[in-house]
Amino acid sequence: MNLPVWQELYESIGPDRFELISVAEDSQGEAAAGKWFDKAKPTFRCIVDPTHRISSLFGWVNVPSGAWIDEDGRIVRSNEGVFPDETTIKFGLGKVRLGNDAFAHATRDWIERGPESEFVWSAEELAAHLKPVDDETLLAEPTFKLALHFESAGDSERALRHFEAAQRLAPDNWNYHRQGWTHKGTLYAYLQVLKKSAYLRKKTDKNYYDPMELPGENHRRFTEPEWFWTPAVNRLKRLLRRAPSTA
Amino acid sequence: MIVLTSDSSSDIAQRSDDTDSLWVRVDQLEQATGWQLKPEGVCLGEICVPLFEPEREAWIADADDRVWFCYSAFADKIGQKHVRDGDVWSLGSVPEVRRIGLESGLAPDFEMTDRNGDTVRLSDLRGHKVVLFTWASW
Repeated sequence: MNLPVWQELYESIGPDRFELISVAEDSQGEAAAGKWFDKAKPTFRCIVDPTHRISSLFGWVNVPSGAWIDEDGRIVRSNEGVFPDETTIKFGLGKVRLGNDAFAHATRDWIERGPESEFVWSAEELAAHLKPVDDETLLAEPTFKLALHFESAGDSERALRHFEAAQRLAPDNWNYHRQGWTHKGTLYAYLQVLKKSAYLRKKTDKNYYDPMELPGENHRRFTEPEWFWTPAVNRLKRLLRRAPSTA
Repeated sequence: MIVLTSDSSSDIAQRSDDTDSLWVRVDQLEQATGWQLKPEGVCLGEICVPLFEPEREAWIADADDRVWFCYSAFADKIGQKHVRDGDVWSLGSVPEVRRIGLESGLAPDFEMTDRNGDTVRLSDLRGHKVVLFTWASW
């Protein structure tokens, strides 16, 4: 969730120097997101967005995503996987590591140097990073909203039907996949993420996020699980390799 | 009948003699869709789409002692996607709004309530740098 790291970054850059807005894209609203906000005790602005309004408005297809908006209201970077630091997410017996502090350094540089920052995009660079929107993607948006409506109304059958339709219409929108899978439970969603990302990693050249092209960025095409038992297996392999020579 | 847009959900009246199309009572049109019927056409903020005579005749109708506007036909005209399940209609984003946003490079404005109960309106933050990010518990 990274909220404590964002809080540190916010305090160290200076709350009077920029506005930081954190938006939780959670169909279960405060019930799902509230405890994470409470735990981090953020002093920046926090919004719970159960209908994924911000992702729709900015055309973002995964979380986390983010944008820099300058003093004139212009977008100078957008649609990136904005991890403020390396993040480890535990699930069951496994864990995944994502991101590093490249985006935090770039953010600090932009706050301090404004348009002089080398990390500000030109209008052409911005246009190149925004995803093209075809007819099916446009149709997926109201379909997803319909799914969220029925989920909120407790009509699981219709919610699932529309989640699945939105996922078919916009197969590269991870928000539709992950939020839809979460309807069947968090563990189910995690397993689906691993399954789908493993498939795409092996079979396609698609990206979970586009590379940020930042210095030192540790871009990973997809979530790569690191299983807790992996170190033990590696030790066993080393022992087995060593065994013949010592025999 | 419920109409969902990207930022609203409205429970509004339904025309009794035609439930196949999305007919919205003119006095509920802005609440449900954001658009208003004006002499110059159908308007959303500074965007106005003119209505030609055949469209006016077909899309504005009297029924149930009220005046109704056939929003689904209008949405088709402007390329706004819509999907329906029973008495719930869900409207996609307005292509013209999206196009203007992309061409201007300006961040789309929004008004939401934060966890402290304060209104956050992006356009109110002009003069400040803003870092906006999403996350989720899932």
